[in-house]
Amino acid sequence: MLQDILTDKKALFADGAHTELRGQNNRTRRAVLLNGALMGNVRSDVSGVSARVYEGGVYGFSSMAEYTGEAAEMVLKAATENAAFMNKHAGIGKPALPKMALKQMPTQEDIKDAEQKLYVDFAREADAYITKKYPNLVSRTIVAMEDSMEKLIVTSDGASGHILAPRSYMYVVLTAQTDAGTPVELFQAFGGSGVFGDNFADPTKLHVEIDDLYEKLMQKREGVYADAGEKTVILDGMMSGMLSHEAVGHTVEADLVLGGSVAGPCLNKRVASDLVTLTDFAHTAFGEKCPLPVYIDDEGTEATDSPLIVNGILTGYMNSRESAQHFGMTPQGNARAWLFQDEPLIRMRNTSIHPGKDKLEDMIASVDDGYYLIQSNNGQADTTGEFMFGVTMGYEIKNGKLGKALLDTTISGVAFEMLKTVDMVSDKVVWVSSGMCGKKQPMPVGMGGPALRCKVKIGGR
Amino acid sequence: MDRMKELAREILAEAKAKGAEYAQCSVSEGEKKEFNVDGGRFSLMRSLFNRNVTITLLKDQKKGTVAINKFDIETVKNAVSDAIAAAESGQPDEAWEYAKEPVEKEYTDGAPECDTDKLFMRTKELLESIKEKHPTILMEQMITEHNSGTEVFMNTNGVNYVTNYGAYTFSLMYSAHEGEKSTSFYGSDITLKTLDKPVLECGKIDWEISMVEKQLDPISLEGKFNGPVILAPMALYEIVLGTIMGNFVGDACMIDGTSIWKDKLGEQVADPRFNMSSEPYNDDVVVPNRHTAEGYETENFDLIKDGKLNSFCLSQYAANKTGNKRAGNGGRNMHVAAGEKTLEEIISGIDKGLLVMRFSGGQPAASGEFSGVAKNSFLIENGKITAAISETMISGNVPDMLVNIRDISKDIANDGNNSLPFIAFDGITISGK
Repeated sequence: MLQDILTDKKALFADGAHTELRGQNNRTRRAVLLNGALMGNVRSDVSGVSARVYEGGVYGFSSMAEYTGEAAEMVLKAATENAAFMNKHAGIGKPALPKMALKQMPTQEDIKDAEQKLYVDFAREADAYITKKYPNLVSRTIVAMEDSMEKLIVTSDGASGHILAPRSYMYVVLTAQTDAGTPVELFQAFGGSGVFGDNFADPTKLHVEIDDLYEKLMQKREGVYADAGEKTVILDGMMSGMLSHEAVGHTVEADLVLGGSVAGPCLNKRVASDLVTLTDFAHTAFGEKCPLPVYIDDEGTEATDSPLIVNGILTGYMNSRESAQHFGMTPQGNARAWLFQDEPLIRMRNTSIHPGKDKLEDMIASVDDGYYLIQSNNGQADTTGEFMFGVTMGYEIKNGKLGKALLDTTISGVAFEMLKTVDMVSDKVVWVSSGMCGKKQPMPVGMGGPALRCKVKIGGR
Repeated sequence: MDRMKELAREILAEAKAKGAEYAQCSVSEGEKKEFNVDGGRFSLMRSLFNRNVTITLLKDQKKGTVAINKFDIETVKNAVSDAIAAAESGQPDEAWEYAKEPVEKEYTDGAPECDTDKLFMRTKELLESIKEKHPTILMEQMITEHNSGTEVFMNTNGVNYVTNYGAYTFSLMYSAHEGEKSTSFYGSDITLKTLDKPVLECGKIDWEISMVEKQLDPISLEGKFNGPVILAPMALYEIVLGTIMGNFVGDACMIDGTSIWKDKLGEQVADPRFNMSSEPYNDDVVVPNRHTAEGYETENFDLIKDGKLNSFCLSQYAANKTGNKRAGNGGRNMHVAAGEKTLEEIISGIDKGLLVMRFSGGQPAASGEFSGVAKNSFLIENGKITAAISETMISGNVPDMLVNIRDISKDIANDGNNSLPFIAFDGITISGK
């Protein structure tokens, strides 16, 4: 656990400038089995200290790969010099950021480290189960991993705190072959917030999940290509989570709004049907802890929820302290950094559409000719709101009933048009948190949502 | 650097003392100077001082790897112990093999020294010249940086490389805006050895920006048709080269047997005009990778020569696993040979098709089947670009595309890392609303 060597450096903070000092340790543990061969067996610990100084509307930042008092003083000095350089050559004379009250956030529980054997053995057990039960597979990849961020944040104003955020997952990738010899693959991640030992105490508990994944893969092996064009679809929870994050979330990050995103002219306007309410939750959603809770951000802002769409109306953006000042909004704790050497950027935390009242089975029954899309492996969105998601698992819907499974395909649409076509919303939210959001830096995020009935374009033949 | 070499020697000695039969380590120290522009204005100056130590060792032919970013001897010794413990938790694998021939070399590549004032000046000049020449362009984000450092790589077989490196990189993300109209964002990147001339005159940045400016009034295509598509270099990399490297010739797909090319070495897999190679020592590459992760010296190699699969892109480990040969490098710095026509001549031969500048799609299936959105793209009709398009999807199959090459441009885009032409492919499914 990082010792607090930073608080007493506050005396060195420059008068009148906003200053952040952050010590950080990122830990990764990973075991990768590919067809039984231990391809990856890696432990990584990266730590250091950084400082950021705001002066005249521009920032200076510096970091060092040391966590010592001397290093903290050096990065404070370098960040102050960088801020001065920027202010001299490119400053815009902006005033200091609005003051926030000083607050000390409680320290979270320490993260227990585990020996590498835990990850290797767990992966091998899962692999042995798959090999024995499903010998007809072409390949199998098992990843047992944990990553964690530990941060000690000290700011010239705002909150200070000591954060520990571990998460751990098992990734299982199975590949079968069609009768024509074409490989077909399916992937599933299991796990969430917390250390590996807490999430995966008993290897046999994964067997049911693996059986389900195998069954879906066998359906996909007999799968068909989607018929390209605009279709009515049911997006399952993971897909609507992807939609919340990629297609809406990014466009309402205030830095992208300033960069010309479609959300700029849409504030306080209708962007979705009135069934759609979307929030970027800080740490608690729908009465439960979020998959990746955030209590304080790296600018010292205490994290609170960011309501983004309320009953179809775009109501706000996600902000840093600086962008909040620009837009006259309240910062809600979205400015986060990945490594000690990274500056805080506006990031989502746990983004989800709120649940509705429909039952999933009624939604499927309501579609004459369309698709039920369950799982995605990647997604991208444009600042215009045009999005694309890869679809790795889904089914045809014919006359209200599920038909054949689909081979890999892609869906696309324009978020603020497509969301207006949402006419049914299920009553259950599904969360995922195993991926990384990419935006200059990677960042663990949670995303979730209920099933949605809507219209999108689907790729295929 | 002497300190880094000494540390590397201590790591190897410690690994041997703790029972490793083989060990290698990479000890590196680096600096970054970076300027950020956000929403069209300067926002940040960043200076980083980094260190990294990566230790890989074999004990009883079991492998363990640990990465840290500290140089103090106590932390480093603990890391060696962790690597030993990681190896002991694994299983023996005879396929692990590392460079055996002793070698001692030192390289200096690119621009190891940063001229910070000039980097700022070129950044400011680039921002201002884009504003002046392309007034509809809004620079959503521009990151300009100089990365430099030294890496000491040693193994217990007497392999010893010292690499000093440095390069300037300009990464631009922008879109065009006029009133409430806006285009999709587009990214231009270039790596440079010197800042001798304005960045807007380097690579294809100016051309790419001018193409984005023409996308303010896109049309929606109706229905679905099958037609030729010209992939600009970035889209070519995303769709074709990425699929070849990830799904057909790389370590994972060859080891797990899912590569549909696994038995096609020496066979025709593409049009005879298609030549694809991995060339760290191409003159256009600013900083070549001097050694592989397993300690072998890198060299250029042909992946596809005259349309025939000439080599896979395998590490020594994957080569041992699959009974193939190790490739000359890890598969960076891609080069596709030029053709004979200009882009204009290729466009003039197309009755109805697309020029795709960027692709946003799902990860292609193991079969090479892909689908996604044609971004920043144009409709070609009767031999001319007639309109920008929006909300248009393309789908196809990479192996089929490679044998259905229509034309390869003689224009090559060099970004300091890769050099790629425009290629027109027949038989792509294009679907609009």
